[in-house]
Amino acid sequence: MDYKLNENNEEDMQQPQILSLDDDFSLIKRFIDGDESVFSELVKRHKDKVRNIIYITLTNSNSADDIAQEVFITVYKNLKKFRFESQFTTWIYRITINKCKDHLRKKNVRRIFLSLKDEEAEPVFESINEDTDIKEIVRNAISTLPDKLRMPLVLKDIEGFSYQEIAETMECEIGTVKSRIFRAREALKKVLKPIEKELML
Amino acid sequence: MKKNNYDKLLLSAYIDGELSQAEKKYIEEKIKSSLELQKELADLKKLKDITSSSIDRISDSPFFETRLFANLNSNSNEKRNFRKWIPAVSFSVITIALMLFLKFNPNLIDEVIEEQKTNIAGFYKENLQPLLYAANLTNEDIFNFAFNQELPLDSTNQQVLKLGYNEKGIEYFEIKKAMSVSEEDNFEKFVAALDLNDKEVEMIDSIIGSYSEQLSGMVLVNDKNSVAISPNIWNTRKAILADILSFAKKHAASDYYKMVPEAIAIADDKSVLAWVSESKSVKDDKYIFCTPDSIFREAFEFDYVAFNKEMENVSRELAEANKHLKKNAEFRFKIDTDITNDDNAKQWQKQFEVSVDTNLVKVFVQGIDKDIPDFPEFPEIDFPDFDSIAIIIREHTNNISTVSPRVPNVPDVKRRDNKKKFDVDVKTGNQKKRRNAGINLDSLMRQNNLIADSIHSEQMKMYEKKSKSDGTDLYYDNGLILEHNKELKKEMDELRKELKKFREDMNKTQTDSSKNRNIKKVILKPIEI
Repeated sequence: MDYKLNENNEEDMQQPQILSLDDDFSLIKRFIDGDESVFSELVKRHKDKVRNIIYITLTNSNSADDIAQEVFITVYKNLKKFRFESQFTTWIYRITINKCKDHLRKKNVRRIFLSLKDEEAEPVFESINEDTDIKEIVRNAISTLPDKLRMPLVLKDIEGFSYQEIAETMECEIGTVKSRIFRAREALKKVLKPIEKELML
Repeated sequence: MKKNNYDKLLLSAYIDGELSQAEKKYIEEKIKSSLELQKELADLKKLKDITSSSIDRISDSPFFETRLFANLNSNSNEKRNFRKWIPAVSFSVITIALMLFLKFNPNLIDEVIEEQKTNIAGFYKENLQPLLYAANLTNEDIFNFAFNQELPLDSTNQQVLKLGYNEKGIEYFEIKKAMSVSEEDNFEKFVAALDLNDKEVEMIDSIIGSYSEQLSGMVLVNDKNSVAISPNIWNTRKAILADILSFAKKHAASDYYKMVPEAIAIADDKSVLAWVSESKSVKDDKYIFCTPDSIFREAFEFDYVAFNKEMENVSRELAEANKHLKKNAEFRFKIDTDITNDDNAKQWQKQFEVSVDTNLVKVFVQGIDKDIPDFPEFPEIDFPDFDSIAIIIREHTNNISTVSPRVPNVPDVKRRDNKKKFDVDVKTGNQKKRRNAGINLDSLMRQNNLIADSIHSEQMKMYEKKSKSDGTDLYYDNGLILEHNKELKKEMDELRKELKKFREDMNKTQTDSSKNRNIKKVILKPIEI
């Protein structure tokens, strides 16, 4: 059902997306020409998507806004160097994903030093009772996936990115995206195996 | 196995709609023929559904842009980091600066407090004028001050400033209502007792008069209800006393030693004079200020010369304009009774001890005449106890008053025509305060509890009748008289004897005192300030 909805959304958005592309470019041109006030329009258009990408990538809302702020600050600083070779969205999503990777890297470094404590804090799926929210279990399961697998999966299934877009955003081949998403699904299936029945209901 | 995996990979891409036409055709054929792949496809679709619905969109952040532009305005990350530290850094800088400043200027806070004090003190110090000026000090007043430690504060003599020492030896001064209006001419009596000649009387007049100005500058008041008292007043009093005594000793040694036992007579004259002149020259500029809300000690200089000039002008103008104004001018010294001994007082309690009553302010001041800072020490002379001499002299001069020529008729026993009361004007040394108080037999009888109150008036009638017919012989034969009438009779007899003796004495002294009359006239000359 959701899948179909997503598909519909994609179809709906295709028309305005073309328009918005032009608009993005023209806004950026104005920005480069010195009209920095248009930047707020760019932020307005893209902030939700950027924030959401961060949110699903990190499966954590606490630092999403902070990272989103950093993304737009980086965009602002580098926008005058924008070369119009790719779509603005691709560029901004790439920045977003890179910021997320930076964040996760820092978090992993921290985890090395705080491993003992953090292990306890990691999501645990051992016991599931009736009250446990299935969505939460799946979220936790997704968050256990390696970053490399998780990012393309959520960009595809939640944000509805195409393989092409994911490849551009993550700066890799389409084949890699395809195989990573496949491996992510295989891994997820394994993680969710113990509660397969509940999920199928 | 490998192929199986490849199919599954295609299946995954298939549900994402990411296969080429050829791949799509291939996998759809496969699915049709393979139950395993069909199940796999169903599982994958289910998984994709679960995954895509597992994460809700992030909630809105209404202040995202506001925050972003605030961040952008602070330009660079570096600057932002620095700005974060600005409050902390500035506070620490200020703190360190303050610490350093206070380390090298440790008196700063004290100075600030001192400055505030000075401001308040300045407020109360405004327009201070000598209180004693208004009291019109006479030589008699100064003489009494030397001996009794009491100075009249206003012309009607209702209030006095009393200096003294409490049982712990701490100096105090009180401003209170005079308990008894002392009108005795102590100074005259003293002079009379010393039997001085005219020239010597003039001398002692001028000696005492010379202190008048000094004393006047020692108690100052103003319209803010503040009183400034120079601590030096304690020493000045002693100086006056010493001066008077040394003069008496010098000029009337024999009479002086009659009054004062030789053992406690004053030490060597020269040192007394040195001491006295020292006390006159000392200008203690630290007055004790009593104000409605505080008591403090502050430097203050009273320009007596300028004040005198001003007062001369004023009095001249007044005299010209309307003389009666000056006559009626009366200084009223108001005491604010709201002054209380509250907690704030602790600071100065070490220095002062204040007790306040509705008609009395009493301030104890420690170490006034001993170790006042900046107060030059008086020469070390082993002085006798002036105060005890003063007491002795006071007693003697009081006894002298019984021979005062002013009241040549006392004692006198009169019988008032109708009332039959005996008015006895007794003036003895021990009854100085009741000099003219009438003693009548009525009260005597009452004192002795001889007659019950209820029958008192009736008895008096009887008594009056009897005495009318019998003359002075008192006789009671009435049932109203109680058993003690015999004792009364005895007492009356004794009294009569005493009166007789008094009369004889007085007649004798009347002739003696006639020679003192000349001196008296000199003394009575009013002293102008």
